[in-house]
Amino acid sequence: MKRLFHVGLVGLVAALALASAGCKTRAKNLTALPSSEGRGGSSTDLPGGRPLPPTQGSTGGGNAFNGVPSNAGRYTPNANPTGVDLNSGANNLDPNRGNTALPTGDLGDGRREDREMFRGNTVYFEYDRSAVKKSEQAKVAAVAEYLKSNMDSRLQIEGHCDERGTEGYNLALGERRALAIRETLLNFGVPAANVTTVSFGEARPADSSQNDSAYAKNRRGEFILLVPNGTALR
Amino acid sequence: MIRFNIHRRGFMAALAVLAIACHARAQEVVVTGATRELVPIALSGFTGEVDQVLRFDLEVAGFAVVSAEKASYLLNGRNGDQVEGTLTDKDKRSLFNGGGRAYPGGTSRSQAHSLADDVVKMILKYPGIARTKIAFKHETGQRNQHNEMISEVFVADYDGANAFQLTQDGTVSRSPAWQPGHRTLFYTSFRPGRPCIFSHDLATGARSPISNFNGMNDGAAISPDGTKIAMVLSKSGSPDIWVGNIDGSGLRQLTTTREAESSPCWSPDNRTLCFASSEGGGTRLQLIDLAGGPMRPLNIGGLRGATEPDWSPDGKYIAFTRMGRGENFEIYRVDAKGGSPEAVGPGEDPSWAPNSRTLAVIRRQGGARKLSLLDAFTKQAKDVTTISGSCGQPSWAK
Repeated sequence: MKRLFHVGLVGLVAALALASAGCKTRAKNLTALPSSEGRGGSSTDLPGGRPLPPTQGSTGGGNAFNGVPSNAGRYTPNANPTGVDLNSGANNLDPNRGNTALPTGDLGDGRREDREMFRGNTVYFEYDRSAVKKSEQAKVAAVAEYLKSNMDSRLQIEGHCDERGTEGYNLALGERRALAIRETLLNFGVPAANVTTVSFGEARPADSSQNDSAYAKNRRGEFILLVPNGTALR
Repeated sequence: MIRFNIHRRGFMAALAVLAIACHARAQEVVVTGATRELVPIALSGFTGEVDQVLRFDLEVAGFAVVSAEKASYLLNGRNGDQVEGTLTDKDKRSLFNGGGRAYPGGTSRSQAHSLADDVVKMILKYPGIARTKIAFKHETGQRNQHNEMISEVFVADYDGANAFQLTQDGTVSRSPAWQPGHRTLFYTSFRPGRPCIFSHDLATGARSPISNFNGMNDGAAISPDGTKIAMVLSKSGSPDIWVGNIDGSGLRQLTTTREAESSPCWSPDNRTLCFASSEGGGTRLQLIDLAGGPMRPLNIGGLRGATEPDWSPDGKYIAFTRMGRGENFEIYRVDAKGGSPEAVGPGEDPSWAPNSRTLAVIRRQGGARKLSLLDAFTKQAKDVTTISGSCGQPSWAK
């Protein structure tokens, strides 16, 4: 019970973005992600959603039947998403310690995405596995070297899966893959606060074919460099 | 471009085929364990859309619509200005008090749903679900300027009619979950540039960010009493189960494994969570109490590859997806206390209806994924044929 209370307290502290307290209940060698503002966060600019149209009163409480919903079919892609909302305030973090304290702030502010820089470094995984294979380590090491000599750069790792898993399972597996790559980077000396993760599960295949060759291309982790605006690349 | 095709002829033809298929299947049902047989019923006097709606509703509920000679019950009526019906058994005894029932007001579709619900309640003795709603993720294959496959959250009548696109974020929106007893949906959207969980009031359209940490913010599940949220966050370095208040405050980390947890769902007493965990290799179902203590495996008789559990509202069963190698996914249900699981039918990501009997599931058909309604008792499946594109992650409003 005491332990549970402690876990709750740590969660609360993180939620309030007061960071810097260690998550000591984590027994194993995991490295916490740099924290964002957590609850609430920077989404105050989020446009309101859509209300469901009112139902038409009847004995059945049923709805008007009009076949084609009036607004279905019109996607209005967001022209200007707020950008990758990472976190920047991280300092003095020992990547080998694990259970790293959560700093605050947004890594992604004023940054642009570079998806090409490390395209050749995409890490591939075995079926249903999240371990970074030995044969893939050199790719990660190269990314680590770049990050260590460009300490103002930040990195997002995207985890992806092939479609041979349920959606719920693959979302978690994709995240595990991204986190495994992250741990590898940290072992190479990249500061924990400079790297975050996102999972797309099976939703963004590199190859939409349904064969082993396509599946192998889809089980991957991609590196997206977040470059400060105004910085020349390469 | 999404199109919700209600080509009436095509729809009628599809329903006719389904009716025939289901009729054929009715002969094959074998009663084992808790499995029940389809109840044969005949319809007469209804036309057009009302006839289609009644057939669909009754077949989803566990009836087989058959000819009068083979039927145990007869639903006779008409639809003009309003739907009217009488329900009799083989001995021509009326099952509706006073003989007939009329359904004025609303649309003929809603009138037909109401009549079907009355028939279900009278004969099968459980509340009908014909006027419930389902939220789901929907994809058209369209990508946005970031090359992300766009998915949006939709809400539709349980039969796919009146589908309504709730989100218009033009990015990845997924994992919808209803707040029981409220007209509020929780879901994950990448609208802020990365995955965040939002609550969305369906009456006003107002939405609020609930969880916005770095890493994973997904798998929202709201407690049956509507006061707490369970979700999967990876901010600690691994995808773990966290629980907080409905507004995202007061977060507690419940699991601390190195491996991934996913798909939390709640027991009806709000005290226990069931979820999938890959701790120990493979994936298995685990339980954890909010009051404390370690996670403990749910006994499913050694079946491997169990994911995506959903706890029935009456507390008796947990439905889940069993992953075979490849895309061989099967829905199972198991006693919530553990035991020998029973295969219900092909599909994934089950969500229980309020009746604790019907499951909304997803079935892969070629490249597309279709919403399907699966009766856990008779194992009869009815595909929702009115929605084009790919559906995923159904959440049945309760």
